[in-house]
Amino acid sequence: MFTTTQVGSWPRSRELLGALREKNKGRMSPQAFNAVADGETRRCVQHQLDAGMDVIVDGEQRRDNFYSFVTDKLDGTKLMSLADMLDTLEDKAGFEEMLDTLDVPASAIRNPTCVGRLARRQPLAVDELRFVQQLTDKPVKVALPGPYLLTRSMWVGAYTRKAYSDKLELGQEVVRILREELQELAAAGCSFVQFDEPVLTEVVLSEECDRRTFM
Amino acid sequence: MRTGVHICRGNWSRKEEVLLTGDYAPLLDFFESIKVDQMVLEYATPRAGDIAVVAKALASREIGLGVVNPRTSTAESVAAIVEQVEAALAYFRPTQVFLNPDCGFGCFANRCVNDELTAVAKITNIAAASRILREKHG
Repeated sequence: MFTTTQVGSWPRSRELLGALREKNKGRMSPQAFNAVADGETRRCVQHQLDAGMDVIVDGEQRRDNFYSFVTDKLDGTKLMSLADMLDTLEDKAGFEEMLDTLDVPASAIRNPTCVGRLARRQPLAVDELRFVQQLTDKPVKVALPGPYLLTRSMWVGAYTRKAYSDKLELGQEVVRILREELQELAAAGCSFVQFDEPVLTEVVLSEECDRRTFM
Repeated sequence: MRTGVHICRGNWSRKEEVLLTGDYAPLLDFFESIKVDQMVLEYATPRAGDIAVVAKALASREIGLGVVNPRTSTAESVAAIVEQVEAALAYFRPTQVFLNPDCGFGCFANRCVNDELTAVAKITNIAAASRILREKHG
């Protein structure tokens, strides 16, 4: 009872952000980046053990953000900053103004844009799970982007229409991928899988409160 | 293996006025229809509304109760967390209630909403509150 855990992500150190930038620019190998992230994850896990948390997370230290990271694992995706995406939009000025109002820096937030048929090159989060399992015997929680968030963010018409006829077709593919992942996480001994759907509130609240999101 | 869905109102800025606001009432049909064990919900901000709103829809589920705001610089006190959880016990059994922050401390790598020291202080108080709650209600 009163089990304690986290939603998933943990602050990133300056060192990790430097490594992430180098990796994204192709100047650091994924292996070298992971070596840095291993150290950061160890510290994050130790903080949770010291605090006495029950269900441990990896702090998403390997992830650019909680949904864009799938570009590391899925064929048919491309990591694009919101600034990169602006050029494809019909109402570029309107989107820029919205980002400004929302306090979102277009260059700092990146999106997993679907640019071709999706295929799972490797599991999305089994590597994260296995690493934390090496550090503790406590149960481990893994967060995955939910199917609605992932479909909605991945769909950027100018790129995605070449591969999928509409959002529904893309969504069915996303669900298939997440289902496979769920089964593999279960088989690998994951204790808790949480699907993140932060923009569901936008669907139902946006009109009422006159605020929105950029995802 | 337990499955859950996390819903929030945005976690990219510390400016509360740009994040979404409103309770979970419009999502209750969705809560009742999905086959997961737990809903992981923001409840440390007044923008999330009242806990009573979700009580009926989650009667046979767990609730991952958000008890600290990941975007503030001061850790919520252990007493305040205990008080918030005890208020939820009007609607949920102790075994249904998980304690967690409202969202992550750094959902976007280069747009983290907090620093590590504050995050440590917040989770330390969550764990301390849980120990007190287990003593009192176990």
